[in-house]
Amino acid sequence: MLNGLDIEGNSPLHRMPVRGKLLLLFAAAIALFLLSDLRLLVPALGLSVVLYLSTGIGVGEAVRRTRFALFTVLLVAAANYVFQSPHEGVVVFCRLSTLVLLAAAVTATTSISAFMDEITRLITPLERFGFVRAADVSLAVGLVIRFVPEIFARYGEIAAAHKARGLPVRPLTTLVPLIILTLKDADTIAMAIDARGFRRH
Amino acid sequence: MNTRDIVLIALFAAIIVVLGLLPPITLGFIPVPITAQSLGVMLAGCILGAKRGASAVLLVLLLVAIGLPVLSGGRGGLAVFAGPTAGYLVGWVFGAFVCGLVAERLVREEQPELTQFLSFLAAAVIGGIGVVYLFGMPWLAYMSGKAFFETAAASLVFLPGDLVKAFVAMLAGRAVLSGYPLLPQRA
Repeated sequence: MLNGLDIEGNSPLHRMPVRGKLLLLFAAAIALFLLSDLRLLVPALGLSVVLYLSTGIGVGEAVRRTRFALFTVLLVAAANYVFQSPHEGVVVFCRLSTLVLLAAAVTATTSISAFMDEITRLITPLERFGFVRAADVSLAVGLVIRFVPEIFARYGEIAAAHKARGLPVRPLTTLVPLIILTLKDADTIAMAIDARGFRRH
Repeated sequence: MNTRDIVLIALFAAIIVVLGLLPPITLGFIPVPITAQSLGVMLAGCILGAKRGASAVLLVLLLVAIGLPVLSGGRGGLAVFAGPTAGYLVGWVFGAFVCGLVAERLVREEQPELTQFLSFLAAAVIGGIGVVYLFGMPWLAYMSGKAFFETAAASLVFLPGDLVKAFVAMLAGRAVLSGYPLLPQRA
């Protein structure tokens, strides 16, 4: 049910280290907001399209993944076009859609485990201050991926129980039992985790 | 944080993900379809309290960032944070925190029912709507360049839907408090 958005491949972006990709994306975001010259922004948009497609993602899948973000970009650009000037509309459209496509390219070329390794490495120095423990974050991510299908199935059961009793399936009457039933499992799961000694101090 | 808190955070994050898998509801009097996912943000604060609620929302955003399609409509990946509406997502974390903070301060188990309802409604409206918009609208305005006023004003079409959600969060928050209270046990 929960599959990552990374595409297998061996493009230059795939081979780049995660930290490098993230830093470049961050730098690109800052640069894009400083630029407002169309002679630079239009080629940047073209480059980001090429880069995104070079990850080996099909055109259909590429569109499906970015269409919501691009739709909001288009709305914002249209507002600029109407209320400001056509030039401003094109600038905003190029800037934001370039950023969206670059971010999507990073996501498409980085596996979930690579991201998790990088996040663990980023969090580990923070452990000294006692905010959060890297092992706990990985544990929590694992638990979510493990329990989403189960909770979704439980929602189906509650909806079926409603129908069997001739009750309409309303958000409120399904939500409360779903939350209570799910959170009641917490004690058992926590005991199981502690029994296995996953969180040694 | 003990193991139980971590499990509660993870389970609630999973509930928020599941809320995003449910089909959006269209109500007759509101022009935009309502997704249940932002309801999960209000609920996280109302049910788990400030710290654990905000952690659950933060965990969902972490899943989004590492490339899992866990937002409503199967959205995910870093592109979501690059779009003009990313401020609302960031606002979710602070919204859940404030919502939890208000709920922790106002709600007591021995209170009469009506007081609890009103307290949860206040928590959901202040945290789940006020704080979320406080982050979402300036971000959207900044990303929109010069037409910032128009785009920020346009985002108000979501307000009626969010008020409906705050009402649902009020009812659900109070129902969970009477069925399986977690809020008083501060993390």
